[in-house]
Amino acid sequence: MWTYIQSVVVFTFVLGSIYLLIALGFSLICGVLRIFHLGYAYIFPLTVYGTWMFMSALDWPLIPSILGMVVVQFIVAILIYKGMIKKYLATEDVLLTALLLVALIVEQAANYFYPVQAGVYLETTLMAGTFQFWDVVVPKQLMVGAVIALALTGAFVFFFVKTKTGMAIRALSQDIYSSKIVGINVETLYMFTMMIVLLPVIIGMLIVSPVWSVEPGMGWMYMVTAILIAVLGGLGNIKGTIMASFLIGFTHAIICFVIGEPRFMNLSALILVMVILVIRPQGLARSESLW
Amino acid sequence: MVEMELKRDRIVIRLGTKKWEWVLEPRYWRNTLIWVALLFIAPTVCYFVSPGLINTMISANIYAAIAMPLALMTIGTGRMNFGPQFYIGVGGYAAALLSIAYGWGPLTTLPFAILITMIAAFLFSPLVIMARGLYYVLLTLLLPLVFLEVTFIYTDIFKGDTGLFGIVPLLDTGNAKNNFLIIGYLSTVIMFAYLWIINKVLKSRYGLLMASINDDEDVAHSIGININKIKIIAFVAASTMVGIIGWFYAHYFSSFAGITYLPLTFMLKILLVLMIGGRAQIFGCVVGGYFVSFLEMLLIRYMGPIQPVVFPIILLALLFALPEGLFGLYRKRRYREYLPTIHVRR
Amino acid sequence: MTPLIKVSNLVKRFGGIVAVNNVSFEIHKGETLGFIGPNGAGKSTVVNCLTGYLPATSGKIEMNGVDITDMKPHQRAYMGLARTYQIPRPFPELTALTSVLASSIAGKKRINQSFQDAMYDATHYLEFVGLFSKRNILARDLTFYELRMLELARALATTPQLLFIDEVMAGLNPGEANKAIHMIARAKEQFGVTIFWIEHVMAVLMEAADRIVAINYGAKLAEGTPDEVVNNDDVIEAYLGRGWREYA
Repeated sequence: MWTYIQSVVVFTFVLGSIYLLIALGFSLICGVLRIFHLGYAYIFPLTVYGTWMFMSALDWPLIPSILGMVVVQFIVAILIYKGMIKKYLATEDVLLTALLLVALIVEQAANYFYPVQAGVYLETTLMAGTFQFWDVVVPKQLMVGAVIALALTGAFVFFFVKTKTGMAIRALSQDIYSSKIVGINVETLYMFTMMIVLLPVIIGMLIVSPVWSVEPGMGWMYMVTAILIAVLGGLGNIKGTIMASFLIGFTHAIICFVIGEPRFMNLSALILVMVILVIRPQGLARSESLW
Repeated sequence: MVEMELKRDRIVIRLGTKKWEWVLEPRYWRNTLIWVALLFIAPTVCYFVSPGLINTMISANIYAAIAMPLALMTIGTGRMNFGPQFYIGVGGYAAALLSIAYGWGPLTTLPFAILITMIAAFLFSPLVIMARGLYYVLLTLLLPLVFLEVTFIYTDIFKGDTGLFGIVPLLDTGNAKNNFLIIGYLSTVIMFAYLWIINKVLKSRYGLLMASINDDEDVAHSIGININKIKIIAFVAASTMVGIIGWFYAHYFSSFAGITYLPLTFMLKILLVLMIGGRAQIFGCVVGGYFVSFLEMLLIRYMGPIQPVVFPIILLALLFALPEGLFGLYRKRRYREYLPTIHVRR
Repeated sequence: MTPLIKVSNLVKRFGGIVAVNNVSFEIHKGETLGFIGPNGAGKSTVVNCLTGYLPATSGKIEMNGVDITDMKPHQRAYMGLARTYQIPRPFPELTALTSVLASSIAGKKRINQSFQDAMYDATHYLEFVGLFSKRNILARDLTFYELRMLELARALATTPQLLFIDEVMAGLNPGEANKAIHMIARAKEQFGVTIFWIEHVMAVLMEAADRIVAINYGAKLAEGTPDEVVNNDDVIEAYLGRGWREYA
């Protein structure tokens, strides 16, 4: 019994924090641009395979490859914003289809150049080995990831609450027209949002890639988790996202360690989301504000 | 009692205090007849020229036959369903499991597949009343993925990892080439039946009521349209039509695996048929279906392994290049013709 | 004689805010009932409750002696209630004719009416409001005045007994407003509808209305002929504010 509680507590913390990294960007796009970024799945393979491409094709060391990948990510984000989101924000059927297509293209390209058998492995281990909490064994890498996740979320919250740009983005998320009137540069801020939301995902992906499996189609799975968390949290509220991440992490931990059926993880999370949506149709927090 | 009366240019049907008029105008039938004839001659031509093309035609017809009910559903419920393939899964698994368990042929499993899909659609139909905007997108997007997960959890029943084998094939004449030809005709018939039914519905008064629901639900309710009834009927009917395609797939390949149809990639193909064909216009779905499947076939034949990358890029370019879809190139908007807007966010 | 509509003790709350507080009135057949009140008095909320767009918190609405409080909007439309909106809400992708056609099909059940018959019907209503020449234009491309008229035609095509008109003057210039007022008067004559007219501008109702109900803060202030209501102290106070006599 005591072991169960320990493992649930520890893994709720670890999984919840990492889900937070995965879902924060999706939730922010939902909140600021008021769309489902269905192309969100492209970021995950692009992070891993982009870095791998620089390392294997150009023989760059790890750190410059990561920097190069970040630059590529920014460029792709800008292209997606300029070419699709800006043009088709009104006709969302086209937009969602196009975004899905982007995710598919990136996935297939990764699959073409580096199939699953290629053995992609990023040396991004910050701390090797495992921690031992009482009876629970956790890879140190995931613990470090959880701490980084919380720190990063804290930084995001600070950014949105205290800085001028953050305020402007929050205003923008409430009403575009009024924001334009008071002199907020909507274009730039949208683009800025598209870029900063990449950071949590990139960091999260780099941290978990040595521990969890890496394959070209992994984006869809992470995106489903991100969608669930964003909806549970109220489509774009950071408070709600934090609560929802840990709630989903808690559910997954319970399913894995108490019930012992890891296969039911996503199903149970989905049922949880549906039940909560029936009780609170707006999600855990109000969706009108970012924080 | 039903009374029918033939007038000069129309058949008048009366049932109780209801009255329908069915206008028959043979002078407008020319183009329709030409296209029907072309599509019916094509399999026979392919049979002698290149039998492989029949396979492509079958998949084209089936894509069109999935996209058309989706168009009906989009207009009738006023929402974009991002998970129509869920009902392919339901219909397909129903047919496959029954056929394997009891050795039933396709004709026996068909009513059960229809019934089970209908029940499943009816169970999920409250979604179209309760969920709005992005929540509807999310829920419909996740349903097939959950079903996929279920097929992997209960592997002993659904065989999620290997797929179900040993389903009684659709027909068996002893000659594979002849089988192909007949199944090709069958798929064409299904496609035309769907096209005819959905076109008739959309042009009738019910189509107009659906159009007004698609445009503004609240106003439609206030002018006296029972929106919940129409939305549920449109949803269930369209889902059932998609479910029949699942039955077709199961018996056609005599194997069925959820992993082929349930992931987002298959849905994306259907969505592209709908969008590239002509933005939820049903005639466009046929054009889009043929275009997408033939493009895919050509790319597979000439591009080799890079095809999965090139195919979506071409479609993405076309999505941006054709604001009204391929059908919009041929046909411009006419008076009184309803060109639906697809609503995602309300 | 039973009144066409009898509203008794209607209450509507939004959370803690009481938008309509214990309002009771009657609408008689064949009359034009004016409904006035300052901004935010709850006029539109009353109409939304009556047409079923919002469920009433408590109270009772009867139509010809039938309780319609829990009916859905489409059932009320079958009973013969129709409305226009303060801000026109056309079906943007339908042409003018098909928008009217939709309500001609959907409104009160009519026997022996095929799709084509409904089309003739719709054409008539469209002609009545003077939009026949615009029949094939998409509703989103019409001007504001034409949208108002389209809404009127759409409401009339459901063959209502009672027509709710929500601020027909808003957004129209004086000439157009005049035309609109005459159109409503003609509709009343030709189709025999009873009219429940919400208006901000008193002068219009002074001429057109047989009776006027005034509300403020969700509660009924006064009811009576236009002259009585206009000279009612409470009504004047609601519009001009307390202490208006010092400046009169």
